[in-house]
Amino acid sequence: MKFTFRVSPNYRDQLSTGRIMRDLTIGLGVIYAFALAYYFTQYSSNYGIHALGLMATSLIVAFLTEVAFAYFTKKKVKTHLLGSYPWVTAIILTLMVPIATSYFALGFGTFFAIFFGKLVFGGFGQNIFNPAAAGRAAMLASFAGVAVTDITTSATPTASIAQLGWMIDKPEAVTKFLDQFGGLQNMFLGLYPGALGETSKVLILVVMVFLIIRKVIDWRIPVFYLSTVFVLASLIAVSKGMGFWYPLFHLSTGGLVFGAVFMATDPVTNPTSASGRTLFAIGLGILTVLIRVKANLPEGVLYSILLMNMLTPSIELLTDGWQIKNVKKYAISFASLSLIGILLVFGVSTTMSYKAPVVPEEPTITLGDPVGIFSDETALAPATVTDKVTEGDIVTLTVSSKGYAVLQDDHSEDPQPNVLIVKIDTVKQEVVSVAYATFSDTTNIGDKTKNAKFLDQFAGLSIVDEAAEVDVVSGATYTSVSVARAVRAAIEAVLAQ
Amino acid sequence: MSIWIGAMQKHLEGHKGLTDHNEIVRVDAGKFVYIPLMSMFSTNIEVLVKEGDSVKVGTMIAKRNDHMTVPFFSSVSGKVVGKQTIMHAVLKPLEHLVIENDGLYEKEQPFSPIDFEKATREELVDFMMNAGIVGCGGAGFPTYMKYKNPQNISTLIINAVECEPYITADYREISNNIDDLVLGVKAMLKLSTAKEAWIAIKSPKKELIAKVRAALVGVSGIVVKEVPDVYPMGWERTLVYQLLKKRYDRLPSEIGCIVNNATTAIAFAKAIRTGMPIVEKTLTISGNGIKNPANVNVPVGVKTAEIVAKLGGYAIEDVLLIAGGPMMGKTIPNDQFVVTPYGNAVTILKTEKIDSVACLRCGRCNDTCPAGLLPVRINNAEQAADLDTIVKLRADQCIECGLCTYVCPSKLDVAEGVRRAKRILQLKKK
Repeated sequence: MKFTFRVSPNYRDQLSTGRIMRDLTIGLGVIYAFALAYYFTQYSSNYGIHALGLMATSLIVAFLTEVAFAYFTKKKVKTHLLGSYPWVTAIILTLMVPIATSYFALGFGTFFAIFFGKLVFGGFGQNIFNPAAAGRAAMLASFAGVAVTDITTSATPTASIAQLGWMIDKPEAVTKFLDQFGGLQNMFLGLYPGALGETSKVLILVVMVFLIIRKVIDWRIPVFYLSTVFVLASLIAVSKGMGFWYPLFHLSTGGLVFGAVFMATDPVTNPTSASGRTLFAIGLGILTVLIRVKANLPEGVLYSILLMNMLTPSIELLTDGWQIKNVKKYAISFASLSLIGILLVFGVSTTMSYKAPVVPEEPTITLGDPVGIFSDETALAPATVTDKVTEGDIVTLTVSSKGYAVLQDDHSEDPQPNVLIVKIDTVKQEVVSVAYATFSDTTNIGDKTKNAKFLDQFAGLSIVDEAAEVDVVSGATYTSVSVARAVRAAIEAVLAQ
Repeated sequence: MSIWIGAMQKHLEGHKGLTDHNEIVRVDAGKFVYIPLMSMFSTNIEVLVKEGDSVKVGTMIAKRNDHMTVPFFSSVSGKVVGKQTIMHAVLKPLEHLVIENDGLYEKEQPFSPIDFEKATREELVDFMMNAGIVGCGGAGFPTYMKYKNPQNISTLIINAVECEPYITADYREISNNIDDLVLGVKAMLKLSTAKEAWIAIKSPKKELIAKVRAALVGVSGIVVKEVPDVYPMGWERTLVYQLLKKRYDRLPSEIGCIVNNATTAIAFAKAIRTGMPIVEKTLTISGNGIKNPANVNVPVGVKTAEIVAKLGGYAIEDVLLIAGGPMMGKTIPNDQFVVTPYGNAVTILKTEKIDSVACLRCGRCNDTCPAGLLPVRINNAEQAADLDTIVKLRADQCIECGLCTYVCPSKLDVAEGVRRAKRILQLKKK
């Protein structure tokens, strides 16, 4: 017989850190699945594939970083990986970035999160910052200007309201503003482009309930964090005469719900006492609202989490002691912090004002010298009619006309002519309209000719008047002439019938 | 449960079905019994018999006689052989008085039965002292000490909670001795000068509750209180808080309570009725490391090895042999320790590998600690050898219930860290 000696107790709960991380991974997986479904169905498979690629990039970089670390610090790779949970950080970070993020930027962010966010502190359990938040902050600092413009990077609700000074006091403007995003309801459902995993508040809240029931996260943090934001936003709404939509908008926009459920709850970077976590969550709420309404950053969640992470050791010192003797102290701390938050936010709200949206002005162009439609200039390098459709009196012609790119060699690799659509009324014998199908000349120079002020000159020009002329756009003469050439070719094609 | 502290308790899977219904096995003493000469960690005990003396069941063989009086009795009839140092259930080698068993179990009343209703309170306290009634909840605190000088006591709480997993000995003992329970509680109620006695039983034990309530029909001043099935509901502080929503600093008498174990009341009743002290115990021998888990009725001083052999032996080669329940009981590296008057279980579990990972600072230990301590903070302070913080964190208040280790998802020995911190405080005091 062998009687093994072990210190008591010799009875343990089924719940393990491994299971906690597995449940968390499942919860995050559900959010990611929603993001994939959204981009595959609402956009195109290219977007969906990019979302898959982002996740793969982050996971690969995270694992490689951990494996390299284990190798260089002479740890057993498998044991190290099983106790380090790199995939959780990678998934959270991926879900925080917008679809337009490049693989390189995310790979950089992941490396930063795993290496500088976690491993340099001594690995899992030792880091003071939430690794994913640290990685995202590094990405924002390094790649802020590189965001690629495409259909999905239309302004997010957070960025849009930030431009308005985080308030709208005119009821009619509110509806118009919210309708851009399909209304509050749609924002809660998450059917708009934003960070991959942050949009669907409803789904995140469902996952939150699952994680709370499974004892993966402490309910205090999301509940107190979101409640604090709600209460403080309501305070601003009351002080500024805004409606109930305002606190709801605060909850439904940006990464608040995602951060409250998946990042603020990271136990490693949280105080270990229940009272401490409560104070931590209220602090998060206050900072988030302050950063949102008053700082230059559009979103406060990420930075409030990083800031509160720094305060975790101080909060623990505050709550240290014999808990049952400290209840009064905890209640006083809670009340004081709440009061500070209310006073700060109320004070700040008095300085807030509505910034009317700036209507972008049409870029001004100056018209220069006239060019005759049937002049010598248009006779050079004649344009080619590639398509002609007749519908009643109206003939629509597609015309390929060499512009600056082809004729002057703008150093582009494969210069192409501009393609224009010219409509001509054969009964009235005049030009109806001229529009670009494809513009191939120099951006910011030739494209001034897309301006209506230039193109509208063609409408009403007689096709039989040999002296018909338009004014070229100053500084874009070549392109302007190419348009006139296209019109000449179109008129000649119609007259030749 | 509070927003500020957390649950301070936890439901545990009890595995009580292993032993709560099957037959109680009688285990006779073998050739020798070994009476441990220890009371509440004091070994200042005067042996009253010599080598070669004849003793009977109930003969007083030793006595602790300093600031507490605790008599020791023989559990068999036979001859005193001498003293021997063997491992004790508290995981310390201790002197035991060895008695050779003649197998006849001849009895001798060390004291006379008493009519508790006629006796004065003082007579009854002396009776309790001389009968050697000690707390059967595990600590072995001499019970009469609680009743010596009761002041402003309003409630007597009888603890029939039995919150350790696997153990059903108290449950069986109570179900089989309901009349003695009622008698003992009545006598204790008189001793305590309290108005009411509350018998606390876990709410899932419906049958037992019904049985006790039936026996209490017509008895005034004694009621059954149901308490939730959580650990450590059997701890005095947790139980008092559950029932009265009050906390106390050192002793429950500060808030007008005396707490006693139900099996202590039964032992007291038996002494009152028969003039016999605690010479045998009902023990739960359970766990997945033994072939046939059961409750046994066994004389004090019998070695664990003999009990296990009687039950058919161990189920596997490598076990954790735990004196008591798996939460608070200590693993003993051999099976030579004996049955004590205050023990009520031996738990035998398969030795399973534990893979621990780094602390993730989840704070479950802090939320669950029934003493309201911050075990992970104490562990951190202990690792940093930060004595001031250990003092501030009140490591001295730990009762080693083991819940912090139980809940730790990283499978760390949290309780052991707190124990080390406690030891540092004790050393510093000296």
